[in-house]
Amino acid sequence: MSILKIEKLNKSYVRGFIPKTYKVLHDVSFELPSRSVTGFLGGNGAGKTTTIKCLLGLAYPDSGEITFFDGQPLSENVKRRIGFLPERPYFYEYLTGVEFLRFYGQLSGTMKKNVLEDRINALLKRVDLFHAKDKRLREYSKGMVQKIGVAQALIHDPELVILDEPMSGLDPDGRFYLAEIIREAANEGRSVFFSSHLLPDAEALCQRLVILKSGTMTYQGPLDTFLQKMGEAAIITFLASGTKQTVRVETEADLQTELSKLIRQGASIEAVKKDRNLEQAFIKMGLRGDGT
Amino acid sequence: MKSILVIAQNTYREIFRDRILYGLMVFGVLLILLSLALGELSFSEQSRITINFGFTAIHIGAMILSIFVGSTLVGREIEKKTIMTLLVRPISRTQFLIGKSLGLMAVIFASILILALVLFGILATLHQSLSWDFLVGLYGVFLEAMLLLGVTLFFGTFASPILSVSFSIGIFLIGHWLDSLKFFTEKSSSPAFRYLGRITSQVVPNLEYFNWRTLSIYETKMPLSQVLMASAYAMAWSALLVAAAAAILRKRDFG
Repeated sequence: MSILKIEKLNKSYVRGFIPKTYKVLHDVSFELPSRSVTGFLGGNGAGKTTTIKCLLGLAYPDSGEITFFDGQPLSENVKRRIGFLPERPYFYEYLTGVEFLRFYGQLSGTMKKNVLEDRINALLKRVDLFHAKDKRLREYSKGMVQKIGVAQALIHDPELVILDEPMSGLDPDGRFYLAEIIREAANEGRSVFFSSHLLPDAEALCQRLVILKSGTMTYQGPLDTFLQKMGEAAIITFLASGTKQTVRVETEADLQTELSKLIRQGASIEAVKKDRNLEQAFIKMGLRGDGT
Repeated sequence: MKSILVIAQNTYREIFRDRILYGLMVFGVLLILLSLALGELSFSEQSRITINFGFTAIHIGAMILSIFVGSTLVGREIEKKTIMTLLVRPISRTQFLIGKSLGLMAVIFASILILALVLFGILATLHQSLSWDFLVGLYGVFLEAMLLLGVTLFFGTFASPILSVSFSIGIFLIGHWLDSLKFFTEKSSSPAFRYLGRITSQVVPNLEYFNWRTLSIYETKMPLSQVLMASAYAMAWSALLVAAAAAILRKRDFG
């Protein structure tokens, strides 16, 4: 089942006193299978947030087709099945945690009052904010705001959760905690689609990737396949003349050559570890930085 | 409908928890109390001065709420991006706008009521009997505030809050001077000026239709038909302005 399908999405903005058109997305197409955690990656200005806005009806695409849950266009019924956390969220700071979640729960539709109240309490406990449930959001720290933001995205029990840069600006503790919540959401059978430029977090969480570069899609598919494609670097740890040493090789052929050479020299091979990660793959692809 | 009420309730709560409203209430109450001091300076006119000051305070308070709070009503949601988390819920942009307007209208109604109760309390101590004309005067203030809120919302969907406030104050002033404007432009020898006067009186609502604030002072009776006509006038303008604002909002990209 396809939970989200985007075909040939194009979007441009007109800016400036003398209007000038800037094309932000060029024929972007990808598909998310259900029950998957997909990272939406790309440098700053690559078009991630614009894509998310287009698919949620917050911005109008120039052309292209967006469908959810096996071919349904965005509608009120479809919106009931989607949860969303925007980038750098600002929420109604005059509301308490409970009031905030109640507001979004009531807006999301059909939940009965007692069911909603139970869900609010459960979510507050899950995001570790039950102790602050009666505090106004203006008293929340940035990490707490992000957590309550995730809770509002989950309040109506959505099937698809879209998070725009959820880890941005959080300290390591906050990132770890949020990663746990995303994992739990996925374990409950939800599909999670989140944009990020924090590659280690994306690597730790995602099964699939969609990668944008300057508004053009450069990859969609499993994370493992992407990493395999991007290189076969390895680190050899060996003992020579009584000292432990390491050497890094970039290709499979280099690995074989280096191993033969070391054995010939009488070195004792201790370990060979594949050294590939998303960060290096990105550097290799030229995707780091401003997306150009 | 439920979504509209949820947004209206949240807007009501937002404004009621804002310190600006309390400042405005204190200003209104002080202005009403000032009338007591000024009344002491005049001979046998205490009640009239109190009524005059009271209605002025209520009128200014309601207009400030309509123009200043109204100008940020939608703009702040767009600027802070809270609108993004609302519009991804099963609500339309028009429902959002109607909900926000109803919330502020409820605040304006409550503020008029609170200041009116203060005024009534003071008048009661002055042994001034209250008549139906008081309520008609207050109703006029509410209708004007409702119409002006429509104006501010309309400007707020495409202009910055400062520009929106400036435009709305402009409409407020022209709206109150429309009769004079028409009178003087008709006397003009310039056809262009006469034409400008006619066009202005067509596109700007006449806010003097709701000026019933002096009825209770001069004990003039306002015919029910005129009250109903003015109500229909205010509602038609408000509906038109909110519909225009919704049409603009529907076309906008956010973020």
